[in-house]
Amino acid sequence: MTKRTVSFADFLPFDHAHYSELRRKTTIRLLILYLGPVLLLAVFFFIQYDAILGESKRLHLQAIAESQANTLDLFLSERVVNLSNLLNDPSYPIPPSSEQIEAHLRRLKRSSDAFVDVGFFNEDGVQVAYAGPFPSLELRSYLHEPWYERLHDGDQRYIITDIYLGFRQRPHFTIATSRMIDEKPYVLRATLEPQKIYDYISSLREDREVYTSIVSPEGLYQLSAPAIGSPLDSALYVPPAVPPTGVEVAELHSRSAISAYAWLNTVEWALVVQESPQSGIPLLSGFRLIMLIITIVMSLIGAVIIFFRAKHTTEVQMESDRNRAQLTHAAKLASVGELAAGIAHEINNPLASISEEAGLIQDKSNPDFGRELSHDELRGHLDSIQQSVYRCRDITHKLLGFVRKHEVNLRRHDVHKLLDGVVDGLLGNELTVSNTKVVRDYAKNLPEITTDGNQLQQVFLNIIKNAMDAIGGQAGTITIQTEKVGNQIRINITDTGKGMSQPQLANIFLPFYTTKEPGKGTGLGLSVSYGIIESLRGQITVKSAPGEGSSFTISLPAK
Amino acid sequence: MSNKIKLLIVDDEVKFLESIAQRLEMRDFDVTTASNGPDAVEIAKEEKFDLALLDLKMPGMDGQQVLEILKREHKFLEVIILTGHGSVDSAVECTKLGAFSYLPKPYELDKLLEVLRQAYEARLNKKFEADSDRMEKLTKVAQGSSPLGILRAMRELDDDQK
Repeated sequence: MTKRTVSFADFLPFDHAHYSELRRKTTIRLLILYLGPVLLLAVFFFIQYDAILGESKRLHLQAIAESQANTLDLFLSERVVNLSNLLNDPSYPIPPSSEQIEAHLRRLKRSSDAFVDVGFFNEDGVQVAYAGPFPSLELRSYLHEPWYERLHDGDQRYIITDIYLGFRQRPHFTIATSRMIDEKPYVLRATLEPQKIYDYISSLREDREVYTSIVSPEGLYQLSAPAIGSPLDSALYVPPAVPPTGVEVAELHSRSAISAYAWLNTVEWALVVQESPQSGIPLLSGFRLIMLIITIVMSLIGAVIIFFRAKHTTEVQMESDRNRAQLTHAAKLASVGELAAGIAHEINNPLASISEEAGLIQDKSNPDFGRELSHDELRGHLDSIQQSVYRCRDITHKLLGFVRKHEVNLRRHDVHKLLDGVVDGLLGNELTVSNTKVVRDYAKNLPEITTDGNQLQQVFLNIIKNAMDAIGGQAGTITIQTEKVGNQIRINITDTGKGMSQPQLANIFLPFYTTKEPGKGTGLGLSVSYGIIESLRGQITVKSAPGEGSSFTISLPAK
Repeated sequence: MSNKIKLLIVDDEVKFLESIAQRLEMRDFDVTTASNGPDAVEIAKEEKFDLALLDLKMPGMDGQQVLEILKREHKFLEVIILTGHGSVDSAVECTKLGAFSYLPKPYELDKLLEVLRQAYEARLNKKFEADSDRMEKLTKVAQGSSPLGILRAMRELDDDQK
């Protein structure tokens, strides 16, 4: 036996592809395990955060609406009080002189610059005194103006009108108070500039990210942010009459906007506050940005850890595989050492036979014994010698195959062609002479595999030869069946021979174990086959029972 | 009764058995062959042998078992182990079990003949000693014993020798 140097590369013919695949799979598995929960958590937080943000926005807008409604109520009440204070002066002159009405306007403007003008109406609804920028309105009769009629219909002391154009053809609204003096109704009214009120409301708010508007029950803007409309336009959103305050989502310039409203007490107006496009917190700012950064950083850290972890795991695996391969090889060498004695026996027996046959020829041709050696006898002895020599040769050849670290020569192979090569080529003559029929039950579209064709053929040869021996010259069938199962291909070689008992099955892959008659088998074929299939990363199994034939199954990776 | 040495050869290789039997017969041995252990034990029961050549590694009953049985059943039979299995362990084991010698295959015929001669001598010596012992004991018993007592003692000694 020649001494061989042992290198790792010898043991692991599939090394790189196998381990990079293992590493890839480990990485993906760990990534899913780690990043899955992290991403789920991040998404959960984002959704939760949005919900909280939405809710807080609704509350915020409602608070704005309510506080602005209150402010406006207060503002309008004050204006009414301004006006009624003037009229309810016990010594109010009827009608007031033009100086007095001018004085009224000055007083009102001191209270609020929203006041535009002021006028006094006699019991016939004629504006008998007027101060303001529209003097043409003086002496006009307002008897049939809607607001004048409404003021006198009920027993209201004052009225605040919706915005209207009126005689002056400019949007404005009117506050009017009435007073009965000597059973006659007198009215003092003032008009207010809507824009001033709007400025007043919006000046209260630091926050410009909302659209504030005032809507009448008829759905007309009384006041509105310029972006969503002008006074007397149809409102984009008309709040419901009840409840008095609320929050809804409304369509605003083809987007949905959270809209909060509050109905006023002093007048039938609703104050509406809607989020403007700028109000939304940008998708990636503040908390969201921090969350995103944390998620990305955690993912990156995780990915890096996983990358090295997978690398480490693969290396540990590779190392342990190497050790095992080393161990296996060492064990093999050790067992070969132990087997040396067995080998000696296997070879010494035929040698002894040769020696005896040769001795017989010597004896018979020795005149001392006085024996004749016929040609037939001589041929018989020489045949026996030759048979014994062949036995020795078989043992040494197979032993070499067993001990040699198989130098795997990998190529793409069609397993069917390899099988045919054995059945038609190597064993073709023997099979024809014997009564054995070979049935080929090949799978269609069996994929080519990367394997060592010569070694695999050696395995097929061993198994098919055994099958022939098991059938033993009688009529019998060897069935070769192939199939693809999952990511493996399987080759079943089944014979109708004499089969094997349980103890025989248990030992069948051991070196020098043979079920054949003495001198017929070396007991190495199947153990060599076993080693070959293992080195090709496959498995070989056998099923058998006495009298029921045997079935060998070889599984190989379908790669 | 011939004066040839009676020899039993046990080996599972029939071809080998045939040729060694022929050669030893040509050298005036009375050879009987058996190709397995149980046959050998049976044959030895029916016929008395002087010597036996025994292969160790045989299917079924192996050589050591056959050796044990033969040595137990036949006191004066000398057994020579003939095997291709050349380890010292098995040689020692067989010697302990009473094998006369141990000869590795393949052997030279002259060597085998020499061992057979030694074994036969050993057997003769053993038999002679046993016979002398018997005579001695018989003499002791005979002194001052009745003829009936002497007969009984002889029978007992005969039983011993089997």
